[in-house]
Amino acid sequence: MAVSVGSSGGSGRRKSLDAEINLVSFIDLLSMCICFLLMTAVWLEVGSVQVKQSHGTEAAAASNSYELDLKFQGATRAQVIIKKSGRVAHKMNLSAGTAAELAQRLDAGIGTWLASVPGVDVSAAMLTPNSAVSYGELVGVMDVLRRHKIVNLGVVPVAKGS
Amino acid sequence: MQLQIQRLAGSGFNRHLIARNYQKRKFKRMIVAGLMLTSMVDMFSLLVIFLLQTFSSSPELAVVAKGVTLPAARSSRELKDAPVLALSNEGVYLDQKFVGVTQELLENPAPLMSRLEELRTLWMKTHPGQSFPGEISLQADQSLSSATVSRFMGMLPGQSFGSIQLAVIAGGSTGGS
Repeated sequence: MAVSVGSSGGSGRRKSLDAEINLVSFIDLLSMCICFLLMTAVWLEVGSVQVKQSHGTEAAAASNSYELDLKFQGATRAQVIIKKSGRVAHKMNLSAGTAAELAQRLDAGIGTWLASVPGVDVSAAMLTPNSAVSYGELVGVMDVLRRHKIVNLGVVPVAKGS
Repeated sequence: MQLQIQRLAGSGFNRHLIARNYQKRKFKRMIVAGLMLTSMVDMFSLLVIFLLQTFSSSPELAVVAKGVTLPAARSSRELKDAPVLALSNEGVYLDQKFVGVTQELLENPAPLMSRLEELRTLWMKTHPGQSFPGEISLQADQSLSSATVSRFMGMLPGQSFGSIQLAVIAGGSTGGS
């Protein structure tokens, strides 16, 4: 890119310190940059939710921590059982008008329980889907669990028609 | 107001502007429009900075299969490079190659199993002496039944693909606070 330093203007004068950018080539460069970046831009950011299909192995390894079982009983009904060493520590039956409301109630329910038992660690969660629940809603529930630092998630494969 | 005009007219440049304006009124409107170069360069620079910030160096990971609308999740992680299994209402695709019709594969998963085995064998050949990570990326349509998706997820550990990355739209809104 051409950058010209101001002309001396005469033999006795000092050189000007003001630099002048050649605007035409500068605008050309910027336009090319914009075109390239616009063409290669990815507007859809794809992330991932990790699921470990290791039922009864890695998830159950930590015996000191709690485990969560979430079973969908319909499109807007779910049962949540929190267990420690196989014994039920807390149980919630959730029902709502819509799937979004169900996720909100689950969020509130887990939040309240975690606040009531300080220092508790829920190591894993197993989700049992239902044919009435869409995959989008299942991921929504997983998202709620992940927000409560429950990162070891598993999905129980269900038989046809259940 | 009069005082302000007089004060404005005081400087050389303002006098020039006023004179030019006066001249313009005399003649017809000029056809050639001037460009505000400073603002244009500012705008270009801002655009370049914004586009550079949103630039992704791994766009090949973001290829979403046809007929698949991904669900949204707020707490998602970065997607790792892994084979992609796409489930839509019509068909199942493994690394963008058609494997079979969704309902037919649920009845008879043999074609999917053999393709997964091929992938695993290829990986073992190309990475000798390394343990198989068993990672697979699952792109499923959000309208699919969760039971259907779970049955496909149940098939994957059979071919040592036990670590499943569910592809989601990052930063989307779901239920909960």
